[in-house]
Amino acid sequence: MTTVTLSDLRKEFDDVTAVESIDLEVRDSEFLVIVGPSGCGKSTTLRLIAGLERATDGEVRMDGRDVVDDEPKERNVAMVFQNYALYPHMTGRRNMTFGMKSAGDFTDGEIDDLVAEAAEMLDIADLLDRKPGAMSGGERQRVALGRAIVRDPDVFLMDEPLSNLDAKLRIQMRAELSKLHTELETTTIYVTHDQTEAMTLGDRVAVMNDGRVQQVDPPQRLYDYPANRFVAEFIGDPAMNMLPATVDGADGGAPVLDHRAFTLPLPDDASSALDDRSSAVLGVRPEDLYLVEASDGAYPGSIDATVDVIEPLGDSLLLECTVGEDVIRANANPRADVDHGDALELRYDPERLHVFDADTGRALYHSATTDEAPVMHAGD
Amino acid sequence: MLGLIQYPARLLRATKRQTAALALPDRRDLETIGLHLLLVGSVLLIVFPILVAAIVSTKQTGIVTGLADLVPGGHVVENYRTVLVDYQFGRFMWNSFLMATVIVTGKLALSIFAATAIVYYDLPYKDLLFLFILFTLLLPVPVRFIPLFQLVADMGWTNSMLAITVPYLASATTVFILRQHFLSIPSSIVETAKLDGVGPLKFMAFVLLPMSKGILVGVSVIMFVFAWNQYLWPLVIINAEADQVAQVGLALLEGDVVGGEVSWSLVMAGSMLTLLPPLLLLILFRKPLLRAFVIQQK
Repeated sequence: MTTVTLSDLRKEFDDVTAVESIDLEVRDSEFLVIVGPSGCGKSTTLRLIAGLERATDGEVRMDGRDVVDDEPKERNVAMVFQNYALYPHMTGRRNMTFGMKSAGDFTDGEIDDLVAEAAEMLDIADLLDRKPGAMSGGERQRVALGRAIVRDPDVFLMDEPLSNLDAKLRIQMRAELSKLHTELETTTIYVTHDQTEAMTLGDRVAVMNDGRVQQVDPPQRLYDYPANRFVAEFIGDPAMNMLPATVDGADGGAPVLDHRAFTLPLPDDASSALDDRSSAVLGVRPEDLYLVEASDGAYPGSIDATVDVIEPLGDSLLLECTVGEDVIRANANPRADVDHGDALELRYDPERLHVFDADTGRALYHSATTDEAPVMHAGD
Repeated sequence: MLGLIQYPARLLRATKRQTAALALPDRRDLETIGLHLLLVGSVLLIVFPILVAAIVSTKQTGIVTGLADLVPGGHVVENYRTVLVDYQFGRFMWNSFLMATVIVTGKLALSIFAATAIVYYDLPYKDLLFLFILFTLLLPVPVRFIPLFQLVADMGWTNSMLAITVPYLASATTVFILRQHFLSIPSSIVETAKLDGVGPLKFMAFVLLPMSKGILVGVSVIMFVFAWNQYLWPLVIINAEADQVAQVGLALLEGDVVGGEVSWSLVMAGSMLTLLPPLLLLILFRKPLLRAFVIQQK
């Protein structure tokens, strides 16, 4: 079992900096997901760990040993690619065994046993004698996984392995990958652009943007305590609403966020976080906004909104509303009686408010109460 | 749309289908027939000289002055035997076959290594190197005749198999076709092999070449036909008749005038024999051949 440590890792391609000083520790047996928009440097980071790219600067350590100048083979990692990368002229079995003689000292008997074991684990025994051309996308990805498993590597590296599969199969394979990791307990680094995949699979998730790690935390923590605006808007679907506001009465008493269309009182403990700032950005997730029902009576600090777009999602009704000059999205009860153009009142969960710096985007305050203070890994 | 009667689209389609069934073949059928007539016409046009040659090769004199002469004669066995045995054509063809085989094998080996190096190795000035290889296309063997002749003569290769094969071993076209094909192989396949520590020779033998089987066969057929058809260079560099190749042998047949007349039936018999090996290859390997051409177009 292996830990992987990246320190101050950089990669430049000619005049483009793909990865900019990354510090990241992947713990032993951990499933770490690196997520980010395309071009954020996540795949390059993975390839640097694999040794397929040479780092411009910095270190890659595996169990303390610096491997940054080692050939890919010497790192004992196995990679699963988005396009499966199976050899088209070899059967499933040959695909799995082809690299084993080169990769390690396996005897023929061991190889047969390992293949049989992996085939059973992945339920691909009947695919072993077929060539990739006669397999479906999901079957090919299973064989590719099998090929990685039989190598018995120290680290699994997965580069968007589910992206070529259709939605239903992706969800099924996601669950299987999770199970597989529980069973094998091999350190896994998984790259994806899909935040749902990141949240469901990762023990921890590293969010990357512009070649930098923005935050590394367990999924729920990432969702509850985003370190900055980028993470807040990237994690969660639909994305968090961001509303610029001015800060009143920060010094001394409880601060109040003043938006042109509403005012929102914050708890006392926010005052130290907001210092004597005059402006900030309020973040509130669509799922933390509710329609004010008649039975609620008068509700303090509600937001007046006009409905522009109604998107019925089945389990909820996604409302796109105008608040002052800003657009806000809210999740409503799926059977709520709402019409296009309706003026309505939204109330919010006071425990789920976020305040960000207007200039840097850094998180200043989360209203959720928690036992442990949020750990911030802001990349700014 | 006022004033127009609107028929449902389904009804209109059904009506059309009925008329189509009753009436003469519609436009699409006529187009197909026309196209096929055109194809048959052009094929006949191309094959006609070969047909005439085949017919002439069966006759005694081989002079064709009118359509009435285009009737197969009864001298098949005699003509072909004379050409093969008396005129040593079997020997020429064997020489040609050897020459073409050596050229194809050598070219293929050299080009595979060159293309592999260009695609998979980080060489300094790689693109410049490739450009230089392409540049040699501007200097085919006929352009280099005089210095090449001098060189081959100085090396004492005159009248040898080396003289007619070595100058053809390097092929920019083949390197180019193979390079394009290697580039079309996903890089993740190469990287998987790298991660497994599969060495370059093992990678070439077990991954690259099997994945290029089709293109290699296609390119080989083109190269074989090209080599088989070599005429000018062997004519210049080979003096001994026993070492000569089939294409030059044909010219020798032509030069053998009997009683003031060229024996065209023998020349045509020789031509038909020369035609056979490339024809056989083309028929056998037409599918990979077509694929090789498609890659080249890309």
